[in-house]
Amino acid sequence: MSTAVAAVSPGRSPFGRFVSSYGQEIVVLGCIAALFIGVGAVNPRFLSNTNINSIFAGNAYIAVAAIGMSMIIIAGHIDVSVGSLIGVIATIAGTLAVGGYPIWIAWLVPVLFAMAVNAGVGALVAYTRIPSIVVTLGMLSILKGGLISATAGAWITDMPADFMIAQKRVFGIPSAVYFMVVLTILAALFMRYSDFGRAIYAVGGNSEAARAAGLNPERTVVGVFVLHGFFAGIAGLLFATQLQVIQSTVPPNLELTVITASVIGGVSILGGTGTVIGSTLAAILFAAIGSSLIFLNVSAYWLRAVLGLMILATVLADMARRRRTL
Amino acid sequence: MTKLTVAAALCLGLMSGSAFAASAWTGGDDLPTNPLACDGTAAAPAAKPYDGGEPASAPDRKGKKITVVDIPKLIGIGYFNATSKGIQDAAAELGNVEAKTDGPTKANIDEQITFIDNYITSGVDGILFAANDPVAIAPVLKKALSKGINVVGYDANSTPDARQWFVNQAEFNGIAKSLIDNMAKEIGEDGSFAIVTSTFTTPNQARWIAEMAAYAEACHPKMKWLETVEAQEDNNLSFNQATTLINKHGDDLKGIFGMTSVATPASAEAVTQAGKCGSIAVVGLATPNAMKPYVEKDCVKTVVLWNPVDLGYAALQVMRAVADGTLKPGATSVKAGKLGDLQVINGSEILLGPPFSFTKENIGQFDF
Amino acid sequence: MNLPALLRHETVLALLVIIALATLAGLSDRFFTAENLLNQGRLMAEVGLVALGMTFVIVTGGIDLSVGSILGLTAILFGVFWQNVGMPLPVAMVAALASGTLAGVGNGLIITRFKVPPLIATLATLALYRGLAEGISQARSVRGYPEWFFFFGQGEILDVPVQLWVLAIATAICAVILGLTPFGRATYATGANEVAARFSGIRVDATKLWIYAGTGFLAALAAIIFVSRVTTTRSDMGTGLELDVITGVVLGGTSIFGGRGTIIGTALGLILIQALKNGLALSGVKGDGTIVVIGIVLIIAILVSAIVDRSRGG
Repeated sequence: MSTAVAAVSPGRSPFGRFVSSYGQEIVVLGCIAALFIGVGAVNPRFLSNTNINSIFAGNAYIAVAAIGMSMIIIAGHIDVSVGSLIGVIATIAGTLAVGGYPIWIAWLVPVLFAMAVNAGVGALVAYTRIPSIVVTLGMLSILKGGLISATAGAWITDMPADFMIAQKRVFGIPSAVYFMVVLTILAALFMRYSDFGRAIYAVGGNSEAARAAGLNPERTVVGVFVLHGFFAGIAGLLFATQLQVIQSTVPPNLELTVITASVIGGVSILGGTGTVIGSTLAAILFAAIGSSLIFLNVSAYWLRAVLGLMILATVLADMARRRRTL
Repeated sequence: MTKLTVAAALCLGLMSGSAFAASAWTGGDDLPTNPLACDGTAAAPAAKPYDGGEPASAPDRKGKKITVVDIPKLIGIGYFNATSKGIQDAAAELGNVEAKTDGPTKANIDEQITFIDNYITSGVDGILFAANDPVAIAPVLKKALSKGINVVGYDANSTPDARQWFVNQAEFNGIAKSLIDNMAKEIGEDGSFAIVTSTFTTPNQARWIAEMAAYAEACHPKMKWLETVEAQEDNNLSFNQATTLINKHGDDLKGIFGMTSVATPASAEAVTQAGKCGSIAVVGLATPNAMKPYVEKDCVKTVVLWNPVDLGYAALQVMRAVADGTLKPGATSVKAGKLGDLQVINGSEILLGPPFSFTKENIGQFDF
Repeated sequence: MNLPALLRHETVLALLVIIALATLAGLSDRFFTAENLLNQGRLMAEVGLVALGMTFVIVTGGIDLSVGSILGLTAILFGVFWQNVGMPLPVAMVAALASGTLAGVGNGLIITRFKVPPLIATLATLALYRGLAEGISQARSVRGYPEWFFFFGQGEILDVPVQLWVLAIATAICAVILGLTPFGRATYATGANEVAARFSGIRVDATKLWIYAGTGFLAALAAIIFVSRVTTTRSDMGTGLELDVITGVVLGGTSIFGGRGTIIGTALGLILIQALKNGLALSGVKGDGTIVVIGIVLIIAILVSAIVDRSRGG
């Protein structure tokens, strides 16, 4: 990607190339900075330790889920069932924890389950050529209904304190934040420098060309879905352990939030471009926007309209930027 | 590009402008309020003529086995799990009722109407409901009545002519008084509070908040309302919203009202995780199980609710009485099993009783 | 347009519909009655109307996630026009239809003029339009419509629900447009290969604009019928509609990649889903079980169709 841009505009400095290949991420980072400065000026409590903590920690699970979703979208597919999957993961984890199993089982089994389920989805998508949106639409229903059936609507309470992974603190910062940052960095390095990571970009860009170049698109697709399951599993654990109770209904609109975070973060829905860093930044931006609208006393009636406008503005800015650099 | 930015900025500015200019949302509705007397003297319930609907040519169900379906606002939250349990308890006790609970997975009127419609077609004898919207649910309930099905509501009413009776857990102004009095006790007469509620369009919550505002103005005028946030029926959202409130107002915030059984434990959790147990009071409506950890740690002093298990129990007892013909329009009381005699108020409403307060002493006895 | 291959999916689907109807009729004797079937027709009118528009959208290779929000917004605007602005009710209806169309045009402009991918554009307008509905309504419902208005949502002509007539007529019109007119051919061409379509002189942008506008119009029509059916307006009407509609359209054989799909397929897909929802409920399956079955049926139906397609070499 960056080499292509360099070829088109050979006179560009390394800095210029960096800016154009990470353009969207920089835009999002800029928005975050502007937001913090702006709202902090209006109400300094916005910048307080506890508030920054809440913004980062309370929505870390969305960022983690967005890592996996970004990989899926880069590979040219989509998953609209991730919200339901996270709800199911949370319930499995909680049930195991309350059932007296060792804590590490309560942590491990749900993640493995998520990976297994997504392996199935990935296989369906890769080998039968059914569009991923169809398979995951079906999966969404199956998981959502299955969750209610299995739990009979009951909530899970009384979980052992050791299980609450999201609430453990290291140096005063909730572990959820560490998960978010560390996983993002690892994923970014993986996507950029590992063979499989580059295979994901190749398959997403042009599947047949990738095949001609010697890659196996089907296995790549299954692999990326399994990876996505891993991240969804971790996100589910973080989601489950944020509060003392686990609801038996899936969080509404979670999949749309995760997809929007990936897309705003620069992942192109056409596949083949984007980074996971962008999606994490976008998830943070969303959390910050949500919090800032309350701090700014925006009338609750207009909250969602303002949010929609902001998404639109970010997207239009991205489109304009793409047209300029192309 | 410049045109784009200017357009976007203009839009944002216009929208934000109206957003700021718009009157702050309290969460209350615009209907007339009726605050109780500050010292708690009970107002005599107004005697109104019966205004409920009538089923058309209902078959004689006296003494016979009936099938009843319970369609709450949504399934999967503790509150309606509890009412469902009460309904099952009453069914077991009565012996001649087959009851089941079914409903949408989100508080959506579109889906609830479809559920009711399907059960009408399947030929149930009785429908119990808790409405997502009082007016929108009326046509389908009237259809049920026209097919001879007995219709009884609980928790959230419909328009009176769409159902035969409505089991009211407590009067709106009674709940408002209970909540505000409890909060005043904990944070003092000049404390400031915030409210975490469900959505803009949930009628019960809107009524309670309106009544709370009226009562507070009359009897605790120095208490200050800071703001209201919506949190739908989602745990995590309620938690995040409550946390943001705590962060935003800092020491100014002395108390949080939780207006739903989801919002209250989430707010208590937010207060706990922020380390403000004891400095921010949480008063609200919730089921005991969800609040046990907080009450036991003295983070929350009282949880106000009626007993939702009793509510479901009473609803089914009323349904049986209606099907049997022992509860007729114009009655002034109805016998509801182990709950004894329940009063009829407002023409076609049946009052469950005064709100119930769960405290550290008694919360251990309940399991729902 | 690959006629033989298309017909194959519709045949599989039609077979599935027949099997489903037969099974459900066997499970409950209240399912296959004229009264119940007509009632189901009434209930699926809103999803059906929007699905007609969505078929066009997906055939062009796009998608529209904002239909539910457009429904909610036009419902609110309808109430506002009538009660707050004081328009006579029929004028308010026309104004509401115009607003829905305008919202659709908004989608279309963002997609064609600013080249934003449809998924993202409609994801943003999903939030924006819903937000406008909430902001404009200020959480107040509009009630008290005159009796004659309820005819659309609750009345009958010749014993068939009014909205079913509307749906049937709209379906026929859309089927003709998509299958037999140059506009329909342009739609398929755009979906099959947009660049080639442009080069062959097809006005791709205008086609898309019309399609998104039309979808907005249909969503507004569905909104009016819905308000008439429930006698009130709420700002949360139509939430989740988009997924139901997309499921129906995709089940009907419209390819998400564009270039393939028929109105008949969509109709069959919707009938299958509605039949399942209703029939399963009547045979005692609770809400959660029904959701699971629909998910499984979706995957299996597409799977079977894909296998059949593959074995024909298609």
